[in-house]
Amino acid sequence: MAKKKVRKHAASATPGKAPKSKIPKSKLPARDKKTLGSLKGMADKVVQTANRSRAPQLDIPSRSLSNVKFNRTQKIIEMGSNKNKRELFNLSQAKAYMQTMLVGSGCKELIGEQKTLSLRGMYYRLKHTIEGTKEETFEDQSDCDPIIEDVEVSLNALREELHVYASNRGSMVGNLQLNDSGDDIDCARMGSGGYSIPSIVEPEIVKFVKSNAKFVLHVEKDTVWRRFNEDKFWKKHNCILTHGGGQPPRGVRRLLNRLHHELKLPVYCLLDNDPWGYYIYSVIKQGSINLAYESKRMAIPKARYIGLSSRDYERCGLSPSATIKLSENDIKRAKQIARYPWFEKKKPWQKEIDHMLKNGFKMEVESLISLDISYVTEEYVPARLQDRDFLD
Amino acid sequence: MLSSAKRKRSPRKKSGEQETSDSGAGGAADGVVRARRRRRGTAESMAAKQRDISVSEFFAKNRHLLGFDNPRKALLTTVKEAVDNSLDACEEAQIVPEVWVHIEQTGESRYRVSVQDNGPGIVKRQIPLIFGKLLYGSKFHRLRMSRGQQGIGISAAGMYGKLTTGKPVKIVSKISIRKPAHYYEIEIDTKKNIPEIHNGRGNGVDFPPGEKGHQLMRKKGIAWVSHYDADKEGVDPREVRSGTRVSIEQEGRYQRGRGSVDEYLQQTAIANPHVTLHYLDPEGNETVYSRSTKTLPDEPKEIKPHPYGVEIGHLVTMLKDTDASTLAQFLTSAFSRVSPAVSRRICEGAKLSTRGSIKKIGRDEADALYQSIQKTKISAPSTDCICPIGEDLLLRGLHRVVPGEFYVASTRPPAVYRGNPFQIEVALCYGGTSVVEKVTYEVLAELLSQSDARTLRQFLVNTFDGVGAEASDKILKKAGFGSRQSPGKLKSSDIDKLHHAMQNVNLTDSHAMQVYRYANRVPLQFQQAACAITQAVTKMNWRSYGLSQSRGALPNAPVTIMVHMASVWVPFTSESKEAVAGYPEIEKELRLGLQAVGRKLGMYLRRRQKVKQEGERRSIFLRYLGEVAQAVSSINDADSKDLYEKLLRVAERKTSEADTKLDSRGKKIEETGDFGGNVLIVDQSPEALLEKGGKEQDEGQQALF
Ligand SMILES: Nc1ncnc2c1ncn2[C@@H]1O[C@H](COP(=O)(O)OP(=O)(O)OP(=O)(O)O)[C@@H](O)[C@H]1O
Ligand SMILES: [Mg+2]
Repeated sequence: MAKKKVRKHAASATPGKAPKSKIPKSKLPARDKKTLGSLKGMADKVVQTANRSRAPQLDIPSRSLSNVKFNRTQKIIEMGSNKNKRELFNLSQAKAYMQTMLVGSGCKELIGEQKTLSLRGMYYRLKHTIEGTKEETFEDQSDCDPIIEDVEVSLNALREELHVYASNRGSMVGNLQLNDSGDDIDCARMGSGGYSIPSIVEPEIVKFVKSNAKFVLHVEKDTVWRRFNEDKFWKKHNCILTHGGGQPPRGVRRLLNRLHHELKLPVYCLLDNDPWGYYIYSVIKQGSINLAYESKRMAIPKARYIGLSSRDYERCGLSPSATIKLSENDIKRAKQIARYPWFEKKKPWQKEIDHMLKNGFKMEVESLISLDISYVTEEYVPARLQDRDFLD
Repeated sequence: MLSSAKRKRSPRKKSGEQETSDSGAGGAADGVVRARRRRRGTAESMAAKQRDISVSEFFAKNRHLLGFDNPRKALLTTVKEAVDNSLDACEEAQIVPEVWVHIEQTGESRYRVSVQDNGPGIVKRQIPLIFGKLLYGSKFHRLRMSRGQQGIGISAAGMYGKLTTGKPVKIVSKISIRKPAHYYEIEIDTKKNIPEIHNGRGNGVDFPPGEKGHQLMRKKGIAWVSHYDADKEGVDPREVRSGTRVSIEQEGRYQRGRGSVDEYLQQTAIANPHVTLHYLDPEGNETVYSRSTKTLPDEPKEIKPHPYGVEIGHLVTMLKDTDASTLAQFLTSAFSRVSPAVSRRICEGAKLSTRGSIKKIGRDEADALYQSIQKTKISAPSTDCICPIGEDLLLRGLHRVVPGEFYVASTRPPAVYRGNPFQIEVALCYGGTSVVEKVTYEVLAELLSQSDARTLRQFLVNTFDGVGAEASDKILKKAGFGSRQSPGKLKSSDIDKLHHAMQNVNLTDSHAMQVYRYANRVPLQFQQAACAITQAVTKMNWRSYGLSQSRGALPNAPVTIMVHMASVWVPFTSESKEAVAGYPEIEKELRLGLQAVGRKLGMYLRRRQKVKQEGERRSIFLRYLGEVAQAVSSINDADSKDLYEKLLRVAERKTSEADTKLDSRGKKIEETGDFGGNVLIVDQSPEALLEKGGKEQDEGQQALF
């Protein structure tokens, strides 16, 4: 009985079920054929190794800081060639190995059925009790997400090529008309909520139709974005306004990248004056350590940081109550960021970070509201743009 | 009456002194107290009351000194005295011992204890003295390793029998297959400390040798095991050539558990693997502990006392008793390790002439001599007079009786305390199921009905080895009883509950270490806390050997440890021979012996841990193999079953260490070779038990290393 319950989940293993919606391989798009080929290659290697009575293992490109290089000419983070072994017969890796194979089988199923799933959907699709135990294949979605990234990097496939997407996060308004999966959308008429930026924004799905915006203003959070939208900042300054709900997800970063490259729009970022804000900027500009292999499609080396700056406390005459004391962790992170190769040689950035450490406090964009509700939209950002007072 | 010389030998001398020479004073003191209340007594009136106290009378009043404190212990003491004597006699005569113990209930609180051996027997004229006179024996006056040493044992048991039932001791003894068997019914005259013979008009009765005599005895109702293996089919019974059977009827109480006859016999079997014991208990159950070796222990040598071991009083008696005429002659002939040169130095130190006449040595001279001996350097006595059990037989003995998975033994080299050679041996058994888990429902019900414990908790602690307060609380909790529940009023469904809990509770952590103490191969069952052996065990830091232990307590682990002290003279803390006194030399040897087995245990536990980890490692791999095989086959349509099988084989190879043995450093070792030569490891897996057809194992089947 328990056996049945467990098996029903196992990807397309149930013979009677899979063919029902399976599309013949020959009719699949070329991209999917290629992905299926890589998945099969991964599986075949396991069989071959087992046939030779060897212990199966996977080589997974390392997604750690030690395996990223800063490409100084292209000004983006690139992934190095370090690989981590993931062995089935290694106590600390056995489960991850099994999970990687499960994700592989899940993706193969999605491609075969020409469907897509969210990260969370994939997690539920693959989660089940391991036969004969009380252990779950995945305890938590946070167990599953990194494994999907592992599969992406090891197969050198994009996430959308695996038919998996992240949940939407981030919105856009402004002078832009686009077509999303066949629907015409005018980003100037999106009301107070804006256009919700999808996870996959590749040209097959999102096509730019028309825009006469002059630049893109990317803000950190929804709350700040609303202020700008309500004050119709984008109308006044003829721009596109985006936010990424904190650390921008891939869809937002990819969209910014396309706006920058395809529509030749400069990208300005308005982020909090804290290590996290610096980091978000760094990710938008150079790419992230975790997704270094995607930097080419995502990074915007010419993006600029317009604020907040550590100088703003004095410059704007903020009161102490608008500040937040730096935590131990903040200080550690700030020092770490100062040593990133792409910040290391930039004097203004070193000064900026130093200044924050000397201040001993951080400031959120919202702190400007203490001066005036619309201070940030009517004075602060316009002044920075006017003076071209950015950090690079 | 005993001479003072005899009393001076043992630590019990103090009480001995009061018993006899001070007895007048004791009586007088008594008189004074009473006199104060009424009328003043005079020296004359007191003198009228002052008289000799017979040793027998004294012991009749102070029976606890000899182990007859209560009916239950009295039963044990009688068995013990008789069995110890039998084993001593057999070994001295170099006969492989076979002992029959029979306990029958003859009244509500009356039992008849009969113990027979195949020893040398006792010559006719000695029988009445041995069994009918206290302080009469062959072992007191010599320094030789033996179980008995005082000459009180068996006659005291006979006297207790007479005091509590009025029945005489019955003895059958036979010294040769061709000689008659002597039969005596003897009673001790407690006033005069002399035997009173009841049968054969004061001469005992003789039965002729051979079948004729056996038939006659049977007809008269006199029990005698005449043949070995009489009931065994297909074996031609061999006649018992010689031996002694003593039968004592006494007040007693039979109850199993700690401090019982059963425990004594079991522990005796452990320390005496060359003995076969037949035990017929009051309920008619027969238990046989068969010998696991036919080799007798080496014959202990008798030695002369070493000067350092002699106390002043004893020295005086030796001077009185000696045949030597000069002091030098006396010293060199009466003591070991005293050469003419050493005797000269002793005399010089005492400012006495070596040629001085013994006759002229008075109390003061003796004292000077004694002081000088202490100051003179004299080499240690030779120690080859001690016959230890030996590591191999310790392992066999322990394994014969205590189930476990790991056994280790260590026999220390001989050492000396106060001029007395001694030797310490330690053996240890780890693991195995405890009695608690093995006891059947029927036996449990019976034990409960016998018990006089007030609470169930007390019952568990008193009845089962290795069960302490903590373990019994665990059991009671599991069974859902309060700790004050009385054991008497349990319904059968309650007993069932208790039984179930006992079998299913995990006691390994709350299992107190079991300590079996031995002196000259005799188990010591009482006064555990007062004994130097127990103290040495609790003082050890067992945590460093992988056991859990709270400070100053016995460790909590499924461990049975046996410690044997062999010596020409074991220093007991009292006459009842229940606890060993702690001399620094003895404590040191105990510590070293315990450390030796502790280290090996630590090695074994670490290795076991490692093997267990490997096993766990394998089980983790196996857990994921099915998922991997299925995921892979869903991607490339490979045969998932075939793939699983192949991965399984790789997994087994990868974790093959789980099947082999590892030492502490994780390096492969060749079986137990690494442990050295005194270890026995028993495969504990259920498969191994099945292969061997249950717990019973042939001697040849286990490897002794
Ligand atoms: N079964 C026996 N066979 C042969 N001799 C025996 C037997 N039982 C006792 N004896 C002899 O009788 C003597 C007295 O025995 P008893 O038990 O009274 O004293 P013990 O053994 O010398 O010392 P202890 O008081 O320590 O037991 C022994 O020393 C032994 O010589
Ligand atoms: Mg005796």
